Amino acid sequence: MADSEGMAVRLQSLPQATQVGFRVTLASQMSAANALGIPALPGVNRFIGAGGLLVLWLGPDEWLLIAPDGMVEWESRLRNAIGADQGAVVDVSANRVGFELSGPAARDVLASCCALDLHPRAFGPGGCGQTLIAKAQVILAQTDLETYRILVRPSFANYVAAWLEDGVAGVQGHAKADL
Amino acid sequence: MHPNEHALHNPEFLWRNPDPKPSYDVVIVGGGLHGLSTAYHLARNHGIKRVAVVERGWLGNGNAVRNTTIIRSNYLRDESAALYEHCLKLWEVWTEELDYEILFSQRGVLTLNHNLHEVREGHRGMYSNQLNGVDSEWLDAQAVKEFCPIVNTSADLRYPVAGGTLQRRGGIARHDAVVFALARAADRLGVDLIQGCEVTGFDIQRGRVTGLVTTKGRIGAGKVGLVGAGRTPLLARMAGIEVPLQSAPLQALVSDIVEPMLPCVVSNALHVYVSQAHKGELVMGAGRDPYTSYAQRGSFHILEDQMAAALQVFPIFGRVHLLRTWAGIVDVTPDASPIVGITPVEELYLNCGWGTGGFKATPGSGWVFAHTIAHGAPHALNAAFSLDRFETGALIDEHGASVAVH
Amino acid sequence: MLLIRCPWCGEREETEFRYGGQAHIATPRSDVDDASWARFLFHRDNPAGPFAERWVHIHGCRRWFHIVRDTLTHDITRSYLPSESPEDAG
Ligand SMILES: Cc1cc2nc3c(=O)[nH]c(=O)nc-3n(C[C@H](O)[C@H](O)[C@H](O)COP(=O)(O)OP(=O)(O)OC[C@H]3O[C@@H](n4cnc5c(N)ncnc54)[C@H](O)[C@@H]3O)c2cc1C
Ligand SMILES: [Zn+2]
Repeated sequence: MADSEGMAVRLQSLPQATQVGFRVTLASQMSAANALGIPALPGVNRFIGAGGLLVLWLGPDEWLLIAPDGMVEWESRLRNAIGADQGAVVDVSANRVGFELSGPAARDVLASCCALDLHPRAFGPGGCGQTLIAKAQVILAQTDLETYRILVRPSFANYVAAWLEDGVAGVQGHAKADL
Repeated sequence: MHPNEHALHNPEFLWRNPDPKPSYDVVIVGGGLHGLSTAYHLARNHGIKRVAVVERGWLGNGNAVRNTTIIRSNYLRDESAALYEHCLKLWEVWTEELDYEILFSQRGVLTLNHNLHEVREGHRGMYSNQLNGVDSEWLDAQAVKEFCPIVNTSADLRYPVAGGTLQRRGGIARHDAVVFALARAADRLGVDLIQGCEVTGFDIQRGRVTGLVTTKGRIGAGKVGLVGAGRTPLLARMAGIEVPLQSAPLQALVSDIVEPMLPCVVSNALHVYVSQAHKGELVMGAGRDPYTSYAQRGSFHILEDQMAAALQVFPIFGRVHLLRTWAGIVDVTPDASPIVGITPVEELYLNCGWGTGGFKATPGSGWVFAHTIAHGAPHALNAAFSLDRFETGALIDEHGASVAVH
Repeated sequence: MLLIRCPWCGEREETEFRYGGQAHIATPRSDVDDASWARFLFHRDNPAGPFAERWVHIHGCRRWFHIVRDTLTHDITRSYLPSESPEDAG
């Protein structure tokens, strides 16, 4: 995927990563957090980044771990921590590919194709959500003030990238016109 | 232009506006197309003269004038083909019979297929139609292009056009003119058309209906026909009858007036169907909103999807402006076929469930329902469309053959 | 476009959800008579007013939940978990 260079916003594709989805009962959530080296699993619409890992809330008993590529051992590590009868752990690494959208106008680009309220009063760094970009389902996480990570199923990746690139062209055209 | 030309073409009084009499032989509840058609046929075919139609608003305020006026008879099942073909044959003589310009135009209904599965379903429907004496033919993509040149048949579409079925005898008519024509014809046969008269309850004595409670007082009735379209569940509940319906919004829209560019009706499974009205507007229907509603209002994303599909198939529409959108509340049955027949209450009859596709049925719906009311038993054409089929399991599944919602 | 509150994720646009029809319908035993079975399969309340119905947050957390929505105004007055009844939801 070509990067779009520019001052206001930049879109790039992220390297492949290990992804492990897990569902876990209340009783085993602390053990899962301990195994991941975080004080607790993130709450509703939040994610935690620590030690090269991202842990994202997906639903009331469901999270997604993103680890560097090749760290397949996370599946068994989590399964051992959670216990066989306290949840389910599945390696879903091929399920989604990632994009990063960054720059002062990143939020404007997303506003062109995503209905989630990303205003700082409602979202902000540490926020994540499953939602739609155009009509494709995505996991969206805001990693810092001006950076968003977008996880999308591979067959929709070109479609979502095209929408985002269109949005990038829009705000950059706008920025130029402002000068 | 003659200063009175408007008045000449639209004479102010097409029907009397009577107050209700104390009682009638038959009272029809609902002054939409199917209610008016029923009253007209009761008087015309069965010689029943003491007939009233009671309507809570004005005649034709509901789906009668909110629909996209597509007329066709290419339904899949034998029972449906017989009933809808009966309707189409009546349309073919109605302009003359009603002596009113209803702009019935048999310009052809073209149903596009976009993949192998749809092509097979299209052929299945076509063969079934032909066996039932309903005209239907197959057009490949090239023939589609010749029949309707503005269809985009290029192969690199997201949903390329693989071909389609054509019913040449299908087409459109002007819905409000049909309301006027029927109201005038029924009125001339002595039917009282009572507007602003809402039914709020039923007099039911020992299992038999004897009258109606309305906002214009009690009206006695020997027989009652319920033809309330989207509001049927509310009416039926007042009479203690349960109906297997969902009332939901169906939206449509028109463009500004443009030069003639669309010679036929075009439909497909992408949730857009379109024709060009005589005046020049493009009339387009959308998919149905999924939720139960009586608000006559649907969600915007349904219209967005519809426009996206329209632009794929007809790139030329990209320069057209959208003028107005609206919704009607459609009464949808589990098998997408209507319910026309008797009820557990004696002398109370039910005609509903035409859902997203009852405009085309206007003539035949009233014809068979009038027969059912007059004889106290259904005509052969509507016998299968009974309320009890949902209990016996003899459903008439038309989900597939309706393709889009019209 | 409805704005629907998922009890877990919060308010989201209608396009993230799918409709599931009337809520709180119990599946009858399989030996009920044909009339009761037909009622269960095909008959729904269709009230003009508040209506308890099921939605699923299909593009979000993928959980089923219930709302009470007025079929005349489309106002949504409650959003609650399937385990709750429409009365005791806040
Ligand atoms: C957007 C849209 C597009 C459509 N497109 C097509 C199409 O292309 N082709 C097609 O064949 N069909 C189409 N349909 C379906 C068609 O419009 C309906 O099936 C048909 O009009 C229903 O019959 P009707 O005209 O009698 O209904 P209505 O006009 O809705 O009549 C019902 C009447 O009952 C009255 N009523 C209700 N309750 C009471 C009461 N308590 N007391 C007194 N009166 C009462 C109402 O006020 C109303 O006037 C479409 C519908 C919609 C909404
Ligand atoms: Zn949710």
